[in-house]
Amino acid sequence: MAHGAQSDTRKRLLELFAEANGEFLSGQKISERLGCSRAAVWKHIEELRKEGFELEAVRRLGYRIVSTPDKVTANEIQLGLKTETFGQVIYSFEDVDSTQRVAAKLAHEGAPEGTLVVAEEQKAGRGRLDRKWFSPKGTGIWMSLILRPPIPPQQAPQLTLLAAVAISQAIQEVTGLVPDIKWPNDILLGGKKCVGILTELQADPDRVHSVIIGIGINVNQTSEQFPEDIRAIATSLAIEKGKPIKRARLIQDILFRLERLYRQYLTHGFRPIKLLWEGYAVSIGKPVTARTLGGVMRGIARGITDDGLLILEDEQNTIHYIHSADIQL
Amino acid sequence: MKIQEIRELIRLIDQSSIDEFVYEQGETKVHMKKAAAAVAVTPAVVSAPAAQPAPAVTVSAPAAPAPAAMPVQAAAEAPATEADQPAVSAAKQAKEGAFHQITSPMVGTFYAAPAPDKPPYVKPGDKVKKDTVVCIIEAMKLFNEIEAEVEGEIVEVLVQNGQLVEYGQPLFLVKPE
Repeated sequence: MAHGAQSDTRKRLLELFAEANGEFLSGQKISERLGCSRAAVWKHIEELRKEGFELEAVRRLGYRIVSTPDKVTANEIQLGLKTETFGQVIYSFEDVDSTQRVAAKLAHEGAPEGTLVVAEEQKAGRGRLDRKWFSPKGTGIWMSLILRPPIPPQQAPQLTLLAAVAISQAIQEVTGLVPDIKWPNDILLGGKKCVGILTELQADPDRVHSVIIGIGINVNQTSEQFPEDIRAIATSLAIEKGKPIKRARLIQDILFRLERLYRQYLTHGFRPIKLLWEGYAVSIGKPVTARTLGGVMRGIARGITDDGLLILEDEQNTIHYIHSADIQL
Repeated sequence: MKIQEIRELIRLIDQSSIDEFVYEQGETKVHMKKAAAAVAVTPAVVSAPAAQPAPAVTVSAPAAPAPAAMPVQAAAEAPATEADQPAVSAAKQAKEGAFHQITSPMVGTFYAAPAPDKPPYVKPGDKVKKDTVVCIIEAMKLFNEIEAEVEGEIVEVLVQNGQLVEYGQPLFLVKPE
């Protein structure tokens, strides 16, 4: 009980600082607004400092927040989160083998739609075909979101394109950088990969149990932090922007846009998502190489179908519809 | 007009309640229209996208050369025919031996193993339980772990690793126990 009340005061204190928008708040004003003593205010300020908040204290002016810690805890993400369901339940970890594995287990145990699993570090982050995903501590966003869409399983792949659009929009909003999407859902900045999305489906033949969208974003890595063999093909938002990005803020914006597009998708289908996807698409009208286990196909990317398949026109002007392949530009 | 400006426009209109938008300046003309209304008129397309034979092609099963302008169905004939062959033999065997078929719930690539350098999930002779993962079907980077849904013994694997499979295509024959 005491603990709950205390964290509530903390939350209101953070809200006051958020309203102050970087300006000074006097200790007197804070104690009035929170209904606690000046000594209690000082105690809360000290606790914030221990958590990594940088606070400046000046006589007669009071306190102001210089910087907040770049953490991806449930508190940081939910403070100011504007969604109804996405991210309203959050499991956050310092480190985890893979957020995807944790989310799959939670989904199996009945976790509600919108449940988010997020970690500061993944010990066994993975991508397509079990390829390793480089996910070191505190630098990126490694998270998995549980959806329970009322759609037939064969329609579920469209959600991977939807996720790519929502994340691209959020990156644009938060950083001002305009990303490109490479089919189906790689997100690139300056031609280098900064986001990978891996989606897993649990379904009966006629019914989806859960769709788990795994999202890996390189946010604040420096180029030296990438292994040498991927430096030429990988980048981070901070490298492209030239300054660090607050990860919790980006997660909030991603959840907000994912939820909105998802609702739109359930009401209006894939068409509106397709148009947005094409707005970010980098490969359309360009020669691409599609690699599959079956072989290699070269051609011009002509767009995507209403189901999200890549339309590839080869040198004999034959149209091919690609369900799965690695695309090289 | 720059592509970024058009992107921004699409984004803004997407967020607005505007259904149609026309912009003209000099020789530039931009016309945007939301697809929501059109989609609502043909809900069948939205609810059952894979109902028609999926026109996907891999290099291992190239389509007969067809002019680019030909309708989707025409280009899809060749792979559909090829995909039917295992389905026919499987159906025959299933009738003869009363084997259970594990079928694909969606169009996509069949992966027999979790990674290229790993052994397959199952091989003929393996015993499976209802929740044993037998393969992965992947489309557009969405991975679907297929469970056996039946208890028994794998009799035959009907498709090749990396092969494109159709909706409902038999993947395994299982002798139920």
